[in-house]
Amino acid sequence: MNAYAPILVLGALAAAFAIGSVAMAALTGPKRYNRAKLDAYECGIEPTPQPVGGGRFPIKYYLTAMLFIVFDIEIVFLYPWAVSFDSLGIFGLVEMVLFIATVFVAYAYVWRRGGLEWD
Amino acid sequence: MSVPDTVHSLWTVAASSTTQTIPTPHIEYGQLSPMLAVFGAAALGILAEAFLPRRNRYWAQIGIAMAGLVGAFVAVVVLAAQGYAGTKAHLAAMGAVAVDGPSLFLQGTIVLIAVVSVLGFAERHLEPRSSTGAPVDAFAPQAATVPGSDAEKSAARSGFATTEVFPLTMFAVGGMLLFPAASDLLTMFVALEVFSLPLYLLCALARRRRLLSQEAAVKYFLLGAFSSAFFLFGLALIYGYAGTVSIGGIADVVSGTATPTPALANTTANDALLLIGLAMLGVGLLFKVGAVPFHAWTPDVYQGAPTPVTGFMASATKVAAFGATLRLLYAAFPGVTWDWRPVLWGVAILTMVVGAIIAVTQTDVKRLLAYSSIAHAGFILTGVIAMNKAGVSAVLFYLGAYSFVTLGAFAVVTLVRDAGGEATHLSRWAGLGRRSPLVAATFALFLLAFAGIPLTSGFAGKFAVFQAAASSGATPLVIVGVLSSAVAAFFYIRVIVLMFFSDPRPDGPTVAVPSAFTATAIALGVLVTLGLGILPQYFLHLADQASVFVR
Amino acid sequence: MSSFPLLTVAAALPAVGAVLTAALPAATSAKRRDINKTLPLGISVLTLVLAAVVAIRFKPGGARYQMTEHHSWISDFGIGYSLGVDGIAVVLILLTAVLVPVVMLASWHDADPVANDAGTFERNRRTQGFFALILAVEAMVVLSFEATDVFLFYVFFEAMLIPMYFLIGGFGDRTVGEDARQRSYAAVKFLLYNLLGGLIMLAAVIGLYVITAKQGIGTDGHGTFDLSTITQALASGKLHFSPVAEKALFLGFMFAFAVKAPLWPLHTWLPNAMGEATPGVAVLITAVVDKVGTYAMLRFCLQLFPDASKTFGPAILVLSLIGIIYGALLAVGQKDIKRLIAYASISHFGFIIMGIFAMTSQGQAGATLYMVNHGISTAALLLVAGFLMSRRGSRLIADYGGVQKVAPVLAGTFMIGGLATLSLPGLAPFVSEFLVLVGTFTRYPAIGIVATIGIVLAALYVLVLYQRTMTGPVKPEVSGFRDLHARELVVVTPLIALLLFLGVYPKPVSDIVNPAVRDTMSDVHRTDPAPAHPITAAQVAATNSQGGGQ
Repeated sequence: MNAYAPILVLGALAAAFAIGSVAMAALTGPKRYNRAKLDAYECGIEPTPQPVGGGRFPIKYYLTAMLFIVFDIEIVFLYPWAVSFDSLGIFGLVEMVLFIATVFVAYAYVWRRGGLEWD
Repeated sequence: MSVPDTVHSLWTVAASSTTQTIPTPHIEYGQLSPMLAVFGAAALGILAEAFLPRRNRYWAQIGIAMAGLVGAFVAVVVLAAQGYAGTKAHLAAMGAVAVDGPSLFLQGTIVLIAVVSVLGFAERHLEPRSSTGAPVDAFAPQAATVPGSDAEKSAARSGFATTEVFPLTMFAVGGMLLFPAASDLLTMFVALEVFSLPLYLLCALARRRRLLSQEAAVKYFLLGAFSSAFFLFGLALIYGYAGTVSIGGIADVVSGTATPTPALANTTANDALLLIGLAMLGVGLLFKVGAVPFHAWTPDVYQGAPTPVTGFMASATKVAAFGATLRLLYAAFPGVTWDWRPVLWGVAILTMVVGAIIAVTQTDVKRLLAYSSIAHAGFILTGVIAMNKAGVSAVLFYLGAYSFVTLGAFAVVTLVRDAGGEATHLSRWAGLGRRSPLVAATFALFLLAFAGIPLTSGFAGKFAVFQAAASSGATPLVIVGVLSSAVAAFFYIRVIVLMFFSDPRPDGPTVAVPSAFTATAIALGVLVTLGLGILPQYFLHLADQASVFVR
Repeated sequence: MSSFPLLTVAAALPAVGAVLTAALPAATSAKRRDINKTLPLGISVLTLVLAAVVAIRFKPGGARYQMTEHHSWISDFGIGYSLGVDGIAVVLILLTAVLVPVVMLASWHDADPVANDAGTFERNRRTQGFFALILAVEAMVVLSFEATDVFLFYVFFEAMLIPMYFLIGGFGDRTVGEDARQRSYAAVKFLLYNLLGGLIMLAAVIGLYVITAKQGIGTDGHGTFDLSTITQALASGKLHFSPVAEKALFLGFMFAFAVKAPLWPLHTWLPNAMGEATPGVAVLITAVVDKVGTYAMLRFCLQLFPDASKTFGPAILVLSLIGIIYGALLAVGQKDIKRLIAYASISHFGFIIMGIFAMTSQGQAGATLYMVNHGISTAALLLVAGFLMSRRGSRLIADYGGVQKVAPVLAGTFMIGGLATLSLPGLAPFVSEFLVLVGTFTRYPAIGIVATIGIVLAALYVLVLYQRTMTGPVKPEVSGFRDLHARELVVVTPLIALLLFLGVYPKPVSDIVNPAVRDTMSDVHRTDPAPAHPITAAQVAATNSQGGGQ
């Protein structure tokens, strides 16, 4: 069980930091309420009003999210590869070039077919 | 504050590992070439979709897909000729992929199925031309448009085409090639997803009756996702039991020949992990083959999907999934045969009986064929249960024979049309034999092959699996199989009666004249059906030679 | 010349003919249609010539199976393309080859297109399809008689259902509405009964294979389907069935053959099928296709499973006895001519099966002769009845009367066919029926005695049929009847000639059959019981030829 103690400690630290930050902000920050403060996310953009029973989201939200994930995952592969690049040698280089080329195929498709344009 | 030893050891281990070198993996590209050719064609297809002007895409996609498939088939034949199906069979790609007889046989079968399917996908003579005069295929002009919307109408008017179906198909084929060849459970799972995802999309792409098609896709996706989750969970449990995901490793642990370690002693004492894990893997696979009680998606999906896709799905998916099932049961879990066999007995009996009986009440050709495919899954399962070499070769042969009958039958279904698209309601097929004797006779041949009449491939296949089952002592299964064949024969005959002995309806459907693509597909179906029926020896022998798993 | 594959050619000729006939261009006129029909007729006549050559080259008393051919077919399952004929097969092939051209000629106009409302004909291949299907049936029947490989036999035994099914369902004599539905019902019933029988036999065939494989009878660990290999292994004790397995396999085979033959209580498809089919097709069903069932009992049930045959023999005898009486009783009550003949056939099949399972040489020789004679006599009766029905367009007995005054030749030939059906001495069926009864009586006297009731009832239904249709006052609808014309006479003459000839001189047939029967008897390790006053088949034939000659 002792092996997990540092993880537990780390978790506790993280939780303390998160709760502490929020509490600190609430305790010490100035409180000046206005309309914008009541908006969702406080970002200044009005969320689209939702019709009763749901409604249609632009499919582009999902598209963007999916594209993000694709390139995100690519980075996940790149890190460990970079770390052990020396030991993998030329084999690792070839494999990674193949991998990136494959991802590039999808990227090219998305780009050419207008997937990156919002409108 | 003193650091406990155990915690300290974490750091020291981590530190020392940086000095170790990771052994460089070795990938045998040559032995993986069938899959690489197909995946390469898929990637090329995507690029063609991105950079070629719209008017050139159709022919380019057909060319790329065919080149990839032919390349893959040549690769399979070359590998088999070099002896990888026999003495040189071994595990490639660091034990992830088995290059052995069953793999190569099934890969060859799947590639040929894909060739015929691509021919069906390429058909553009059946639908009326768009208003710009462009010939159109069986797929939605623009998949992203809402059914019935103005955007859809304008896309249809301008003769758009979803030529992405070809690269999607190639991805699916690539996954199917990997699935039965996968030699560790994780690779198997990845392959399962790689071929399932494109299929979900393809199901949603029908040009006519798009809502039905999208409903089919959603059902297939949801249930498919469930079954994948089952498979993954089972995989995790098996890993928990055996401490490995490789098929050979699992077999060693299950049979008790693995080198004992303290960790193994801990887990292998608990058979529940093994049995529940195996059951969950089984659920995932039986879902894909459409065995009862995991068959509920089959009729809806087969009915809603575009008919060429249905044909592809019904044949290729079945081949791939049965291939993986065989590998799992014969290579990974022969040590617990006595645990899974009674369950599969029950599943096989249920599948044969339920498939055959419910099919009797169907009024739609595609649903009828769906239930018939369920019944056939049951027949194939009797061969799987045999657990001997004859069982493997019989299943391999049956899969090949059945696939081409299915492809041919669905190809014929695309031809019978009225103003609303394909006329799939059975009552509309009445008297087809009087109006178009050739088409009706072809369909009748396929139905007779399904029914297992001698001199068709269906009979040779049925004989092979029942023979294998009987020789392993599963006589009751054979008897149930024979009786449900009789029930199944009843509804095949009913369709033949309808086509030949009923009076044609005045407003009946017309039989569209297909292009050379579909005509070739149907001709190939007929050829294989008769060829494997009259002279099965060569292929039986091939299947027999290819029936040893490597692990 | 000895290596010339005569048997293959005899079966391949009609098969090729069927394909050629189907491939001929569709007829545009009645004349072209006649040309399209001449080809299949010619081919069936050629097949008859080949069958005659087979019969002539066959040496009675020689090897058991002659003109054998062996080729490997599906060696992974020990399946060979093995052909060979013994005496029983030879006479049945000859019967088939004789009947097919006769049936074709009799059905010359049965499949002609019907003029539609506009008075024009639909231009299609329906007519030639009919003849192509008949040739296909002939090819498969001949192959099943020739096959000495169980699997090969099974393949054609099953496959012949498909062309038969289309012949019954697609070409009945009534084409519209409710009648067409009746016909397709009959066709489906025919197919489903026989398919079920066939599938159960498939299970038994697989079982046989597995047992031979397990006991190492075949080569390379595969089993075998070769009949002589199996029977030799059985005789030498190398192959041994457990009693349960042998009984199960016997029942599996017997079920299929009993459906096909048909044996009571599996007969119910026959009246439907014969009632709805055209007369020619009905002859094909009862005189040709069903014979494969009875032949297969002799060939496969007795040879492969001798002990089980002896065990179940008495039970099957009782069933066949019920069939004899039941068929005859129902025939007496029929209003429909074709259904009457169908029930009469059920009665006759009872005699044939009784002869087979009486396990005496007279019984089995009689049964084989009976198959031939029943084929000829039923064909004669049914085809003449068909000519009669084509003149009136009705199948009901009550619609006829006094025909013999208007069409004496028709009535006369009908009479001869009828008398043959009731086994009048001097006509061919008498010899066989007598042999069957004698053969049964020597082993099972009670059954033999009861079976004679069938003869009495046969006289009743035939004579009542004749009396109601042919004698009495001439009905107004009947008064315009033409007598038999040239084509119909050509059909009837050879049949009647054969009936008379074999009635007075059955020796040529019985000489061919007897050695084969002796072999079969020795397969089941049965010898004839010694009767107080021995009678042999040859003596009976001799007695009969004297009687007929007076």
